[in-house]
Amino acid sequence: MRPAEAARPPKARRVWLGLASVVALVAAYTLLSNAYRVVDPSLLPDPIRGVLRPQILPPTQRIFDAFVQLVGAGASPVGGAYVHTGDHIGGLVEQRVTLQGSLLISTYRVLIGIAVGGSLGVLAGLLMGWSRAVDEYAHPIYILFRSIPPLALITYVMLWLGHGTAHVLLPIIYAVFTVVVIPTYHGVRDVADIYVKAARALGAGGRLLLSRVVLPAAGPFVLSGLRYALIIAWMTTVGVEMLMADEGIGYLLIGGGMWSSRLEVAGDPAVIVVGIVALALVGYAMDAGVRVAGDRLTEWVKR
Amino acid sequence: MNGLWRRRLWRALLSVGALAVLYGIASEIGSALLPRRIWMVAHYLEDVELLPPYRSLLEETVFLIQSGILPRSVLVSTARVFEGLALGAAVGVPLGLSMARAARLECLLDPWVTFFRFTPALALLPLYALWFGLGELSKILLIATAVAVVTLLGAYQGVRDVPRVYLEAAKSLGASKGLILRKIVWPAALPQIFSSLRIALGLAWVTVVVAELIKATMPSLGYLLALAGAYPRVPTIAVGIVTIGLLVLACDAVALGCYAVATRWMKRSPAHA
Amino acid sequence: MPDPRRRRLEIRDVTHVYEGKTATRALDGVSLDVFENEFLAIVGPVGSGKTTLVRIVAGFLTPSSGVVLWDGAPVAGPSPERGYVFQEEAIFPWMTVRDNLQFGLLAQGVPASEREKIVAELVTLIGLEGYERAYPKELSGGMSKMVEVARVLATDPAILLLDEPFGLLDAQTRSKMQDQLSRLWEEKRKTVILVTHDIEEAIYLADRVVVFTPRPGRVQAEVVVDLPRPRSLETRFSPAFLELKRSIWKEIGRA
Repeated sequence: MRPAEAARPPKARRVWLGLASVVALVAAYTLLSNAYRVVDPSLLPDPIRGVLRPQILPPTQRIFDAFVQLVGAGASPVGGAYVHTGDHIGGLVEQRVTLQGSLLISTYRVLIGIAVGGSLGVLAGLLMGWSRAVDEYAHPIYILFRSIPPLALITYVMLWLGHGTAHVLLPIIYAVFTVVVIPTYHGVRDVADIYVKAARALGAGGRLLLSRVVLPAAGPFVLSGLRYALIIAWMTTVGVEMLMADEGIGYLLIGGGMWSSRLEVAGDPAVIVVGIVALALVGYAMDAGVRVAGDRLTEWVKR
Repeated sequence: MNGLWRRRLWRALLSVGALAVLYGIASEIGSALLPRRIWMVAHYLEDVELLPPYRSLLEETVFLIQSGILPRSVLVSTARVFEGLALGAAVGVPLGLSMARAARLECLLDPWVTFFRFTPALALLPLYALWFGLGELSKILLIATAVAVVTLLGAYQGVRDVPRVYLEAAKSLGASKGLILRKIVWPAALPQIFSSLRIALGLAWVTVVVAELIKATMPSLGYLLALAGAYPRVPTIAVGIVTIGLLVLACDAVALGCYAVATRWMKRSPAHA
Repeated sequence: MPDPRRRRLEIRDVTHVYEGKTATRALDGVSLDVFENEFLAIVGPVGSGKTTLVRIVAGFLTPSSGVVLWDGAPVAGPSPERGYVFQEEAIFPWMTVRDNLQFGLLAQGVPASEREKIVAELVTLIGLEGYERAYPKELSGGMSKMVEVARVLATDPAILLLDEPFGLLDAQTRSKMQDQLSRLWEEKRKTVILVTHDIEEAIYLADRVVVFTPRPGRVQAEVVVDLPRPRSLETRFSPAFLELKRSIWKEIGRA
């Protein structure tokens, strides 16, 4: 059935409107966040005075400064062990925590999570979708484990694996795994099934059946599962890093400290905004990458 | 059909039962063999039960319930989840609906929706903590943000996917815009809105646990985990994890039930269960 | 030649081009009149612009050039006056049979008691007593198509536009539906345009059959069907029926 494609404006106009909305909001924010320079905040009524402070709404140029400082932090002359300065950006610069370095480490963690968790998830989904017996025995267990938020496991996993690489990666792998299983499972069971029957009737079997029929048929579902898994992987990575890693974008956002005392460092909103924007951009780029690659892999799909 | 379901149930019970028995055996062996002293970062942790046997789990459960810690934590965390869910859906669903119906609004909001879609909600926690303090408000708003993004996309896609033939049929029967919205667009988009709510509920639990782990001022499930992890008391951690898992499972079952009721008019292929 | 009957619909030199990467000319200068209480069938191969023409009459499309006059006034947008039955399944699956049937009445603000009365009548007319509270998923394809026809009839339109209404049904259900539609028409005597690629269906139901050329659609021929009414299974095997069928096939062959 044809979906309701309401009269959509042409693409050029869409882009123009979107750009205009971004520019307008950034301009409005810049004006608002610089208001404290013009107006003496102490003259303003209470709730507005509370909001219009640079500690709450960092001026746009401060955000840009923070960006420049964070990108150049690696080259700062001082380095070495973490000194508790109580200053978010100061602390980061002293530790030579750069924006690009943090993003790289987090991206690496996300990719490991996708690679390991994704393959395990696809494998489990294939098995469950392929064999009814496996499905009936394993599905209930899968549902039990899926119900546990990956980050809730952190405290327990730490006791087993210590405070290290594996401990940071495990929740990410776990999260990706649980997300990828179901789309793969549905792709194999509900979509590939009819083609499997047709291929069997033509005499195909074994590896040919798997590589030429099952995987391609389930492919689009696996890919859409992977796209969702990317979002979940980033979320989990940021969560783990905020909770206990010593590096990565989550660590940059929270600015040091340890365990439940982490938020006691007074956060610098400019650093946080830089981190968030960087996260959104990287997330978008990775999604676009998967989308483009996926479209090429599944060219035969009617769109 | 009936026999099929009986076999499914039987096999489910069998595999879950087998898992439970395996754990029981492993924990009995483990309590004898596993180290109770663990080196952690800078010091030894004493008296750690890595695999607490059922005995200690039971004792711990009884203690946590009798002392009122567990019931109160459950109440606090669940309340946060549902407050955030309600708030987020109240913002996300109407926005998604109007974006799908108004082309210009869609163009204006599109970059922002994309931005929030790829921003992990958890990354907003430090910002919210700064803006709204470390208390209740920032946690609920964090959950609401995660929920709003998911439900907005669900509602938007739901409206976009309404087959054109329904809209044309309604229009040719003389229906006004308001009537079409109430009687055609809304019910046709409802299934997708409900499935997005189900996903959002799962995300809300993930979010609340982390928000509570990072900073809790009240007894709550994340706080319980954080505290138990600091000592560490594994039976407490285990009870906390299992409780969260069961709550997520129950919420998901309720969401699935709501979905089934809201879509009872839909044709279902027999393969779907 | 002056026609004694009242002219309701006038299609004057209608051309339609679908814009896109490659512009497709669907209709090319079609002119056609439809008279009061006439059952007109349009037949033609797939892609001959039949559907485009009824969509223009319904008001879903504006023709690239030419005009469509309804009772002398140009058509502007869809209206319940011109009831439309779709080729696709257009029964609202989230509404019960009863709610589907009364949707048009609801849209026109007909009071509840009146709605109930009309719905009860229609349910009897299409033989769906006892299914009022059923969802469409419980109905067969033919039944739900009949509900769609009845849903349009509920608002008492002046003309009924049927766009291959039985195109998705199997042959047996189709012929059953045709019988039911034929009876319905005897009772209601509406002005009808039926679009179909099934020539037998066109002859069996219509007073007049218009044959379209392949793309772009033009009127190639008109055949008046003067078979006696009410029509039945016997009609389908009468020599007159077969003769009509032959002449229409001939026309198509000439295109």
